[in-house]
Amino acid sequence: MKRLPVILASVLIALAIASPLAADNVKLTFVYWGSVNEDTAMKEAFKAFEAANPGITVEPMYIQGDISGTEYAAKLRAMAQTNTLPDLGYFRPDQFGEFAAAGYMMDLTDLVQKEGLTRDYLPQAWLKVKGRIFGAYTAAECQVMFYNKDVLKKAGVPVPPSDYRKAWTWDQFVKYCVQITTDANGKHPGDAGFDANRITTYGVSYQLWHAMLTPPLWSGGGGIVSPDGRKVLIDSPESIDVIQKIADLINKQKVMPYTNPSSTSQAGLPTPPVMLANGQLGFYITGQWELLDIAKMSFPMGIGALPIIKKPAQMYISGASVIFKSTKFPKEAWLLHKWLMTPDKTLNLYTSGLWMPTKASWYNDPADLKKWTDNAVHPAEFKTAVLDSMKIAEPIPEVRVKNYTQIINECVNPQLDKVWLGEISAAEALKKAGDLIRQQNLMQGTW
Amino acid sequence: MRNPAPVRNLSGTRRVARSLVVAGVSRPRRERFLSRYNNFWGWLFLTPVVLGLSLWVAFPLGLSLFTSFASWDLITAPVFVGFKNYIDMFVTDPLFWQSVVVTLYYTVAGVSLQVVLAFLAAILLNTRVRGVKVFRTVFYLPSLVPVIVSSALWMWLYNPQFGLFNVLLTSLGLPPQKWVFGIQTVVPSLILMSIWGIGNIIIVFLAGLQDIPKELTEAVAIDGGSAFHRFRHIILPFMTPTILYNVVIGIIGGFQTFTQPYIMTNGGPANASLFYVLHLYRQAFMFAKMGYASAMAWFVFIVTGVVSIIIFKTSSWWVFYQGETKK
Amino acid sequence: MRGSRRPSEYRLLAYVLLVGFSLFCVFPLIWLLRSSLMTSREIFTLPPRLLPAVVQWNNYLDLFQVVPFARYFFNTLLIVVLNVVGAVASNSVIGYAFARINFRGRTIMYGLCMATIMLPQTVTMIPLFIEWKLLRGINTYAPLTALAFFGNGFYIFMLHQFFKTIPVEFDEAAFVDGVNHFQIVTRIIAPMSKPALAVVAIFSFLASWNDFMGPFLYLNDQRKYTLSLGLKYLISGYSVMGQWQFLMAASVLIVLPVALLFFLTQRYFIQGLTMGGLKG
Repeated sequence: MKRLPVILASVLIALAIASPLAADNVKLTFVYWGSVNEDTAMKEAFKAFEAANPGITVEPMYIQGDISGTEYAAKLRAMAQTNTLPDLGYFRPDQFGEFAAAGYMMDLTDLVQKEGLTRDYLPQAWLKVKGRIFGAYTAAECQVMFYNKDVLKKAGVPVPPSDYRKAWTWDQFVKYCVQITTDANGKHPGDAGFDANRITTYGVSYQLWHAMLTPPLWSGGGGIVSPDGRKVLIDSPESIDVIQKIADLINKQKVMPYTNPSSTSQAGLPTPPVMLANGQLGFYITGQWELLDIAKMSFPMGIGALPIIKKPAQMYISGASVIFKSTKFPKEAWLLHKWLMTPDKTLNLYTSGLWMPTKASWYNDPADLKKWTDNAVHPAEFKTAVLDSMKIAEPIPEVRVKNYTQIINECVNPQLDKVWLGEISAAEALKKAGDLIRQQNLMQGTW
Repeated sequence: MRNPAPVRNLSGTRRVARSLVVAGVSRPRRERFLSRYNNFWGWLFLTPVVLGLSLWVAFPLGLSLFTSFASWDLITAPVFVGFKNYIDMFVTDPLFWQSVVVTLYYTVAGVSLQVVLAFLAAILLNTRVRGVKVFRTVFYLPSLVPVIVSSALWMWLYNPQFGLFNVLLTSLGLPPQKWVFGIQTVVPSLILMSIWGIGNIIIVFLAGLQDIPKELTEAVAIDGGSAFHRFRHIILPFMTPTILYNVVIGIIGGFQTFTQPYIMTNGGPANASLFYVLHLYRQAFMFAKMGYASAMAWFVFIVTGVVSIIIFKTSSWWVFYQGETKK
Repeated sequence: MRGSRRPSEYRLLAYVLLVGFSLFCVFPLIWLLRSSLMTSREIFTLPPRLLPAVVQWNNYLDLFQVVPFARYFFNTLLIVVLNVVGAVASNSVIGYAFARINFRGRTIMYGLCMATIMLPQTVTMIPLFIEWKLLRGINTYAPLTALAFFGNGFYIFMLHQFFKTIPVEFDEAAFVDGVNHFQIVTRIIAPMSKPALAVVAIFSFLASWNDFMGPFLYLNDQRKYTLSLGLKYLISGYSVMGQWQFLMAASVLIVLPVALLFFLTQRYFIQGLTMGGLKG
């Protein structure tokens, strides 16, 4: 009887040692960020992958993100330093160049070329540093204008055009926003007795972080920096004009509520989607991925073409998906990477409104289009207002241009804060921003 | 020594000495034995601290001191740059001094207000009001709330369009404020939020108040002294150590403020709430300038030390400790 | 005297001020509570409503679907218990050494311990992370609990002050009986120091309960996350809709036990601070 514990222990130990060997399992750790819904959607995708690839398990490493990605970036940086990086996953686009150049990502050029994948995907999708492919855009995201049909109807405002080429001009857009904005007594901005402190319905809410400012800047002929990372564009007269126009929405026309765009808890309360759903907001201009959450709120939602300042503009923005060079299972990681880029296999990520595909055919081919847009989540005007605009979408410079984060956070944003508050003019602020960028010698080209 | 010294307030050495005396051990042997005995036990008990200081304090400090003289992004090897980081801090970085000013503003104004208001509240509580226990709990409740939650909660209260404070103001006919969204109002708003959490300071003051020998306050009252008289000559002097304590702790804490600005304002608007540690954090994690961040960390460490020393040294002018006679 | 001779106007004024401040303290928390029982849209309607139209008790249940709070709770509890045990055990022994044993280098060591109170956490954050990597402590609870066993300047100070107020006669008597220092700590000093030890326990409980940076930096496995990570998750920038009622509900759940604990142990708390004698 005394022997029994020893025997039991040995058996348990033997089993413990043997089981990993017996399973012969490949375990891939995939790191990512996102909202609750995104987390759920990703886990579903992983399960589908596992079912199709017996012998491979996916270990989700979900890191809560914030919109600026600072914590995510810090976490991965710490992991890189201590060699504890996962196998593959999302990567902050603004840090991509730095890490790729330092050799942390797996070089995918040969794999991509061998399998002929450049044809099938959007040209912007593959991310290159010095001519070699080190990752891909996870999805194809862009800027989108949501609106509440009831709010517009009540204000007597027509539904915005859904063809991106025939969108409203800026002045038309502002006029309609004024019509929508009402105070507690039913008065509009510009009416006698309008009380700006008691507004109950706002016309528009623009997200004010750098990516959301980019399409309007481009539409007006300006920009933040040139794509080659050599020229400062933020202080050009065109850029100044655009920023002033947006700031005027807040301070002059009073059609936009001001909330701190750079707060970490970005939830700038109440969040515009909630305002939209509550009928407190007419238009909301933000990233396409918010469709996932907005579609779940029950209100009559529509999508309109972005207002045009001088010409139509659209951006291509997304996080990056990479495979880390330190992975022990490059073949399996590549399989998972490809899987997540295959819309057929991960349909729920697209039908739910979270992502837009990087595969080209899914924009033009009617059969493929139907698979992901023909549902309650995507309104009828989605194709013409959003998808077609991807034809002219330019990737925002954050991936390619060096020092982009610093330019935005140290030089541009603090000056913009004052403009949004109405304390100084856009001209003054942006000139200062441009000077700061040049002073600190931040224009160092691209990766 | 036939009659050993009285027992009151003997130090450890003397206690054991007394036992040894009682046991009849000779004097030189006693001395040697005692010091070895005490050294052994003292240092044995301190092993956790010794290990802890080496592992979790000395080594990281050393590493970060080394890093402060280097340029390191954590993914490539560190590069020695001498005093460049420090020079950048003091001369080149436009935001360094901004962060110092913001932090000083918040700390000095905040700690003063906190200490004064907490003291007042403690005095009020110490009068024979009913329900002291309930008041104490209520005052302390805010300190129990995790900072993340209170930050989100107060962000909401402070929202210019829909926040409770502005709704209250406008319903009373007063102009709404920008609170944490205005350049001049952001730090005062954060200070107001910190006042919400002075419960623990109140409790410390309350404890100190209850320590004052009642005979003294009674004596003054019997002699016909007013409440104010009582306050100025009895209560205040006796409370000076507690005040000192709260001021020092408050300043140390103030210098390290991070979570509230990080969650609520991210340093904005226009860097008006760019606290020192927030700036440091950004340099380390957003811009991967570990060397520079380490230099900043060392600077605040030294400043905190110097300020504390100054406060302690000057404290003898105004702090009165029970048990000392003061003429 | 405090009570009888004071005119009743002063008393009234005192009451008014105290009640006023109490309202200030409590009102945001009431707001927290009411929002935890509302739907996401209702929280933000204007003008703001104090009471929910329909009390959403289900928020508290749904919360567990959105975030695995029960597991986070147990994880946090484990970490907190270890921290409390470590803090009480190590700091009482260390505080005793400083208070009672006269050994060489005592002042210097005490000074060093006090100096650590002023150490900004940020400066040691990254080097500590690298250390833990070498010790293979990443993604374990070791970095979050081990440090408690090595003493903490603040608690050492508190216990040191407190121990000094315990009359020496007690150890004295024991010494004559041939008892060594360790037994004195465990059998004499500790039982007499319950208030002070309770304070240390409560403070270290609070600190580890609310700790965010630690779990964030060291825990990668979602199943090991703590409550504070769960809370941050609900505020994160992606939490665009529908999470505010959960954030409020979660906050209520997290604050309630701690508030209860404080209300019950108030006496110890105050006593501990008083005996701790902040008289220098």
